[in-house]
Amino acid sequence: MSSMYCNCKPEAPRSQLKAWAKVDELARANSLWVTAYGTGCGAIELRPLHTSRFDMERFGIAMRPTPRQADVLIVSGYLSVKTLKRVIRVYEQMQDPKYIVALGSCTINGGMYYDSYNTLNVLDRYLPVDVYIMGCMPRPEAIIDGFGLLMEKIKAGRADGWEHYRENLEWYRDNQKKVIPKWDLPDYNW
Amino acid sequence: MMDSQRLLEQVESTATVLQVIRRSDGYLHVSIGSQDLLSCLIRARTETGFLVLQLISVVDRIEDGKFQLTYILENPDDSSILILSALFPREGCTVPTLSEIWPAAETFERELHEMYGIDFPGNDRQDEEFILEGWKDKPPMRRDFDTLEYSIRMFGERWPRNHHDPRQFIGERVGEWETPMSGEEGS
Ligand code: SF4
Repeated sequence: MSSMYCNCKPEAPRSQLKAWAKVDELARANSLWVTAYGTGCGAIELRPLHTSRFDMERFGIAMRPTPRQADVLIVSGYLSVKTLKRVIRVYEQMQDPKYIVALGSCTINGGMYYDSYNTLNVLDRYLPVDVYIMGCMPRPEAIIDGFGLLMEKIKAGRADGWEHYRENLEWYRDNQKKVIPKWDLPDYNW
Repeated sequence: MMDSQRLLEQVESTATVLQVIRRSDGYLHVSIGSQDLLSCLIRARTETGFLVLQLISVVDRIEDGKFQLTYILENPDDSSILILSALFPREGCTVPTLSEIWPAAETFERELHEMYGIDFPGNDRQDEEFILEGWKDKPPMRRDFDTLEYSIRMFGERWPRNHHDPRQFIGERVGEWETPMSGEEGS
């Protein structure tokens, strides 16, 4: 199994010319590829979004079948402890740079499942969220608005959750291991 | 379709019927003494043709110190339904397993063992994990399990929330929105 992934600590990317970084950011912001993965109830609202009614491809947002090709992970609602483990795995397999968009009050503060024995309260403690979209659940218009925000953040060079994650990996790992009693993931899994 | 009177007589011949909860044609729901449960279920399957075990469910009657187990059986020939309920003491709850009679019961019992801590001696797979991974606390569906306390202890306090009076909040913002209505009002 271990031949299938790299199990060494993630490194910082090579430094880049400022001007070139700007071009990169512009290109990234206009072609956001999303991992086709849904958790919680929020995934229901993604269907109208990526089909003809709201058609997110006109903004350059497309679904990808594998995390290896994607830049954006949408956490579309409550995360149970069991799902968190899979989401971490998916997130870490995505190539840098990568962004997380979190939908719904469940990811912000537990929402209506705040007292559940099985769902997380605050997603930010386990994965770096770039954009939160509030609502229970957010309408497709709200999600488009959120993606607009993400694009602005990327263009301004402020969508750096993935760098923050890499730099503070220990802190995130501690939090993750605290809630996942059966931790059987490799320590680095990129 | 078997009428409920005949069904009731048959149940009464093997078990003490404590209460008839609901009955209509082809449908009978009774509560019986827990000591008769196993024999009554076996008889329903072998003699009356209730071959399908649809569900085993549990209600935690914490006020009475009991678990109420409910077995739903169906007769595939005439689609009649027989529901048997029995009360078992809550502490150290032990219930005879049905996995020998209905293999599907093994999975139901595994779930109840995980969620309520009910012991089914004879069910070899009840200790396997069903839904929860690495759960160490009290079984979470028992009513004396405090989910809020667990959630705060495990996942931390949630972020503070702001409360808005919708009328006031929307009222403040409505001036920022251009609506067809506002144009009409002005004219
Ligand atoms: S925020 Fe509402 S819609 Fe979204 S996952 Fe939670 S309960 Fe479901």
